[in-house]
Amino acid sequence: MSWVSIILLFALVDNVILSRLLGVCPSVGAPGSMRTAAGIGIATAMLMGLSALAAWALDTLALGPLGLGFLRTPAFVLAVAGLAFSLEAMAARVSPALVRGAGFSLPGAAINCATLGVALITTRGGYTAVESIVAGCAAGLGYLLVTILMTAIRERLEIEQVPRALRGLPLHLISAGLLAYAFMAFDRAFIARMLGGQ
Amino acid sequence: MTRGDEFRKCLVGENPVAVLMLGLCPAAAVSTRVIDALWMSAGIVIVLLLSSLCMSLIARGGRREGKELRSGAPAGRWLGALAISSCMTASFEIVLLAFAPEATAGLGIYAPLIAVNCLVLSGIDASSRSDSVGGSLLTAAANGIGFAAALVVIALVREVLGAGTITLFPVAGFSGTIAIPALSSDPARAFGLAGGGLVCLGFLAGAVRAVRRRALPVPPAKDGLT
Repeated sequence: MSWVSIILLFALVDNVILSRLLGVCPSVGAPGSMRTAAGIGIATAMLMGLSALAAWALDTLALGPLGLGFLRTPAFVLAVAGLAFSLEAMAARVSPALVRGAGFSLPGAAINCATLGVALITTRGGYTAVESIVAGCAAGLGYLLVTILMTAIRERLEIEQVPRALRGLPLHLISAGLLAYAFMAFDRAFIARMLGGQ
Repeated sequence: MTRGDEFRKCLVGENPVAVLMLGLCPAAAVSTRVIDALWMSAGIVIVLLLSSLCMSLIARGGRREGKELRSGAPAGRWLGALAISSCMTASFEIVLLAFAPEATAGLGIYAPLIAVNCLVLSGIDASSRSDSVGGSLLTAAANGIGFAAALVVIALVREVLGAGTITLFPVAGFSGTIAIPALSSDPARAFGLAGGGLVCLGFLAGAVRAVRRRALPVPPAKDGLT
């Protein structure tokens, strides 16, 4: 599969939030400004790329050859969490003001089923190391796109008159559902058409 | 609070999915068939109970030695919680693969993702702060059953409307699938898609909120419609 196909597949067609339904809580539910949403999206996207690579390395170089496939879940979870804590510690050292002003914690992104989900999808899909990191970053890009879209929708909904029982999260979920139907326009035929130049 | 009150609270008043909005991903993703929802519910309840038991015992042991887990470094606490939940999830996956391989296929990547489920992690965190092992197990069981109830309701709505069937466990002579005569020939397939999961979840949350509001009336908001 070409890199462009992988990017389109993970960012739009099999969007991690709207198609795979992973990471719904932080993207749909968490309140916050556009700046915070973009920050969370960028951090999660970075972490997804690195996690996909770490999962590939663990699976191909350690768990697979040693016949320890049953340890995939704990190994991936701890690797992703370790990566997140390390990145946050590094960021805090390089630019403490950036970490304080970001309004979110990177380990929060690790405890997000989207990050682990992408690592599992890429290892189960049999991607190479480079394909894994491209797929992880593309999934992160899709995550960032939907997080920003949902924040914009949430900001509009806050000023609308809506039934009280649906105000807030219920309506955000329904909006996310409608957005998921809209994203169905990006299907595999769409990729084939784009790459085929038709 | 009595045991009945605890369970009642987790079923409607503070339902983990519909009110607290915990564990939304499996609730939206693994609810296209009732049987998958039942397997996922079993996974969440088992992992939640075992993880809570494990964390409660560790916390109790720590307290006996005069160490408080709650005062520990956040990174250590989170890594501990993730290690416990991921080991319990891996054990559940192994047992499921051995005894019900078709369920493993039905759950797909959502079975290993139980390890990072918000409900499981918040349950482990609550257990580390609880003084009683029995109490934290009771809370875990109530939360797990509350999650299962919400998941099964969503799955029932989605499968009946989206496929016109109800898929249960096949037992001697019974294929496991009940076809709804009026719906199975011409179902509303949109309910079976990813968007259908989110829409159903949103309406369930709204319905539970309306029921709660009726039970505990509050003055209407100035800017809202009733």
